[in-house]
Amino acid sequence: MTDLGRVTGDDEVLHTSTRRRRHRWASLGGAIVAAHVVLAFVAPYLPLQDVSEQHSDAVLQGASSAHWFGTDNLGRDVFARTLWGGRPSIGLAAASVVLAALLGFLIGTFAAIAGGGVDKVMMRVNDVLLAVPSLLVLLLVASFIGREPLVLIVTLAVMYAPPIARLVRTASLNVLTRDFVVAARLRGASRWELVVGEVLPNIRGVVLTEVAMQFTWILLAFSSLSFLGLGASPPTPEWGLMIAESRTYMSITAWPVAAPVVMLATLVLGVNSLVDRNGVDGAT
Amino acid sequence: MSIAWQLLRRAAVALLLFAAMACLTFLAVEALPGDACTSLLGRAATENKLEQCREENGLNEPVVARMVDWGCGAVQGDLGYSIKRDAPVTEIIAPRLRNSLVLAGVAGLLAFPAAVVLGLYSAQRRGSRRAKLLDTASLVMMTLPEFVTAAVLWLVFSIWLPILPAVAVLPSDATIGEILPTIWLPAITLAVMVFAHVMRSMRSSVVATSARPFVEAARYRGLPERAVLLRHVLPAALPPAVNVMAVTAAWLLTGTFVVEVVFNFPGLGRLAVDAISDRDTALILALTLFGLAVFILSSFISDTITRLLDPRVRAGVGA
Repeated sequence: MTDLGRVTGDDEVLHTSTRRRRHRWASLGGAIVAAHVVLAFVAPYLPLQDVSEQHSDAVLQGASSAHWFGTDNLGRDVFARTLWGGRPSIGLAAASVVLAALLGFLIGTFAAIAGGGVDKVMMRVNDVLLAVPSLLVLLLVASFIGREPLVLIVTLAVMYAPPIARLVRTASLNVLTRDFVVAARLRGASRWELVVGEVLPNIRGVVLTEVAMQFTWILLAFSSLSFLGLGASPPTPEWGLMIAESRTYMSITAWPVAAPVVMLATLVLGVNSLVDRNGVDGAT
Repeated sequence: MSIAWQLLRRAAVALLLFAAMACLTFLAVEALPGDACTSLLGRAATENKLEQCREENGLNEPVVARMVDWGCGAVQGDLGYSIKRDAPVTEIIAPRLRNSLVLAGVAGLLAFPAAVVLGLYSAQRRGSRRAKLLDTASLVMMTLPEFVTAAVLWLVFSIWLPILPAVAVLPSDATIGEILPTIWLPAITLAVMVFAHVMRSMRSSVVATSARPFVEAARYRGLPERAVLLRHVLPAALPPAVNVMAVTAAWLLTGTFVVEVVFNFPGLGRLAVDAISDRDTALILALTLFGLAVFILSSFISDTITRLLDPRVRAGVGA
């Protein structure tokens, strides 16, 4: 569904009465996201069991004091793998989204400032890129070119920049008609000064919201890719891959699937509820 | 401009766009490292054998010649030949396409009507406990990836309450009667996603429309709430939701890789994943172009519906 999120978006008008409720949700979301990020960073330093050590005498066990979340089909400790499992996806998604945001910002502001034919052509190309299913492209790239992190990061950034570019363009056009921009123009500000000094501060909130949303779609796209066997490669602990590896054993023990499912779900929902607040506060 | 003329023009633009994208796709697939012969011969490839295989399959012709050749064939319904699978591409795709259509149809039937009705409901009863619950639920449904939804459904309906089969073992040419009993879990997984996207767009569109002056005017004229909703709000609120429905419908046909792999469903999505891991370029090309065609067609259809729904356009005022 990563593509649907990328293409359809989900903008809605928030009313003042709902802001306070949203605020509470946002704090909860922020806490969840922070916990995920901290965990991803400190997992290697925690006294966890080895993530790839196999115990053939203890496969597919339920939760116990030795293995808090049980073991998977190769007898690996699910708890340790679950805590490690966010590192590849979060890191890769963060790198891609930063690159995508940069690309999207450059393309969007350039189109907005250039206007006319340039703008039209750029947005047409943008729409065409939006029409290309991202998971298909990812599968092709991973299969034919390689699944090195750098390759995947660049591909993801290119696939997820168009929605950001479109939003940046719309928001910039909106700002560019304001009086203070006209004033800056009359002062003789260069285009670059306009972009950095006037447009950027005024569209930051909306753009950050969009970037955070795209972060979750990228995260899910990469997990889906891993799930299909073309993202993280075994024996790396990665949530999508863990779910793929363990799903056939689900009738014996649900832990190896349930644990990464809960982690992915909480992270994505956490970002979503965090973003709701920024969407309100940052709206121009 | 009359509506027919507008539509004709848009159709021409869509066709041109498709042709351009088709050329680009052909070149992109061509640019991927390795060709059908290296993938067919695999490790057994020697210079001589490769050369012979390329000669036999006409891969030594210049790219442009092959592209034109392929294009002429495609127009006549010949999408090329899969060397890897030793069968014409159309024959491989046809049964899979039927299965995917059935899956998409069932998922759409489950999702679209419910999404429109509940979207309206949630917008009308904004702030009520039920509407809030519905919104939160739809957010969760929308943001979870397919394999997570699939795993949860699987756990509940195949393992805890074993009422639905988890994995279908079906040949791709199984009859529809054989497919239907196994289709529920994949169809529900897809429907969950589609429902959430369409419902949320419907909801925000109705909320935005309800705030417009003409709705208030209708209410002040003393129309019953039901009439305001069905005759004034709904027609104006539908177009954005129709757009989202078109995108999701296209996705149902072309974006279902994960769901089909999870449930081992013999549709186009799993075929695409297989084709990509086999490096079956002829098949990849055909499937990619099919995806593009569906996407362009769906946006054309939604555009047309949107225009026909818009009373200003219907009246010929021009919008």
